[in-house]
Amino acid sequence: MNRIFVATLCVFIIAAAGRSRAQTKPESLTGVERLEGDWVRIDPNGSGDFGGLASTFTPASLTPQGNAAMEAGQRQAAAPRGPAFTENSRHDSGVPYIVVSRPCGAGPFGGGALGINPDSGGIHFVVHKDEVIFAPERGGFRHIYMDGRKHPDLTRWTPTASGHSVGRVENGELVVDTIGITPGLVTAGGWRTVETRLTERFVVSPDGKHLTINYRWEDPAIYQKAHEYHYEFDRSPAGSYALEYWCDASDPAEQESVTPPSQ
Amino acid sequence: MIITRAIVRIATTLVLMSATAGAQTPPPARAVPGTASSTAAARDISGFWALSIDGRKVPQAKLLPRVTKAMLDLHARQDVHAIRWCNPVGLPMMMDSGAIDIRQGPTTIFMAPESSLVPRYVYLNRKHISTEIYDPSTSGDSVGAWEGDTLVVDTIGFHPTHGVTSIPGGGFRTDKTHLVERYRLVANGDVLSVRFTWTDPTVFSAPHTYEFRYRRLPPTYEAVSTWPCDPYDQERAQFLGDPAPFRTEKR
Repeated sequence: MNRIFVATLCVFIIAAAGRSRAQTKPESLTGVERLEGDWVRIDPNGSGDFGGLASTFTPASLTPQGNAAMEAGQRQAAAPRGPAFTENSRHDSGVPYIVVSRPCGAGPFGGGALGINPDSGGIHFVVHKDEVIFAPERGGFRHIYMDGRKHPDLTRWTPTASGHSVGRVENGELVVDTIGITPGLVTAGGWRTVETRLTERFVVSPDGKHLTINYRWEDPAIYQKAHEYHYEFDRSPAGSYALEYWCDASDPAEQESVTPPSQ
Repeated sequence: MIITRAIVRIATTLVLMSATAGAQTPPPARAVPGTASSTAAARDISGFWALSIDGRKVPQAKLLPRVTKAMLDLHARQDVHAIRWCNPVGLPMMMDSGAIDIRQGPTTIFMAPESSLVPRYVYLNRKHISTEIYDPSTSGDSVGAWEGDTLVVDTIGFHPTHGVTSIPGGGFRTDKTHLVERYRLVANGDVLSVRFTWTDPTVFSAPHTYEFRYRRLPPTYEAVSTWPCDPYDQERAQFLGDPAPFRTEKR
């Protein structure tokens, strides 16, 4: 009996020591390096526009609280932003009007929002063992920490357009966990708060030419079940490079006054 | 009893071996100089870096006689205008402010100062893009290569008017400007030395070289990812002295 007890204890101790060692071993980036380079979002279903790109996604299933938050957010987004902001109004033919009264935005380019929801601009990855950079071409960038750090305490975190991201490698794929994003709309009828958790899985095809980003939004206060969809990207041709997106808010041309044609 | 003691001895040995192996697993804190790992470490300038007040050594630039005070003043005004309207500042200013995140990947080095949301890329896997097709930009087209423990970055393709064009020590960048930067880790990897050398046949009478030394920030550093810049804040515009609407000045 005593022998069996000692043997069981030994097996337990060895297993525990082995497990501890596995947890302290630095994670390999093998496979994730293939993410490095330039990518552009594609329209795999021939939708033709950005509304169409999301039309095949399963709509988010929101809680009553989530619905209320989203409706409030939509009302705020639709509210007039100033007397010159008239792009949604009717315009008499032949009379010039301003399309965008405040071009380039405040705090230019959204501070990394396009890294959470990429548009037609290119995206660029630089892969380092301690940090992966995810840089949308039209401005901002995301720091994805790979050094094992934890998320900060949200009570001490100022929400940002791209939140706080930590990454890990699973089966050669980059998996990124993000919280702390500013509240706002999520693709396909979703909503997010600072507490909402986004998990992204970056899957590069075996030939290295295609990238799928799988998105999973979770928040028991907002979603009845996890909200999931994916975006597709092609690798840019060899020799591609990041273009500089130039937007000068002081340039009247950025407001693009439009004169409706005479009927 | 003998069997029990043997089991305990074997188990103890295994646990000790396991623990020793585990202790060997974490990466070394510092590479040993002269070894292969030190070479690899010296060839990776990744990290968060900060330019402190004692990190700038900038002599006066030797300018051509054709560079008048009026030209310098015009560039200075245009620089204020670019800052006031939250334009991408580009080089050289992006290397001269706040903390910088530098990440070196297999093909590209990414450099992002916290004070700007427009980063810079240095390509390690190609030559310059043909000037026939490259659209000039505030940071230009940068390509890099290692020469021993020094990363040499060569940049052309600057935009002559976009961003902040004035250069520390005097002068400004134009579409004919050529910049060579030499990055080297010193002080056991805690300091990043960058020697900037600017040449431009329309601005400088001799190459203009200065050195910045950046201190490595702790590995636990959290990047500030949103730097507020509101071009429509009139109080800020008044403070900067550029409240006027856009106007083009002849250079």
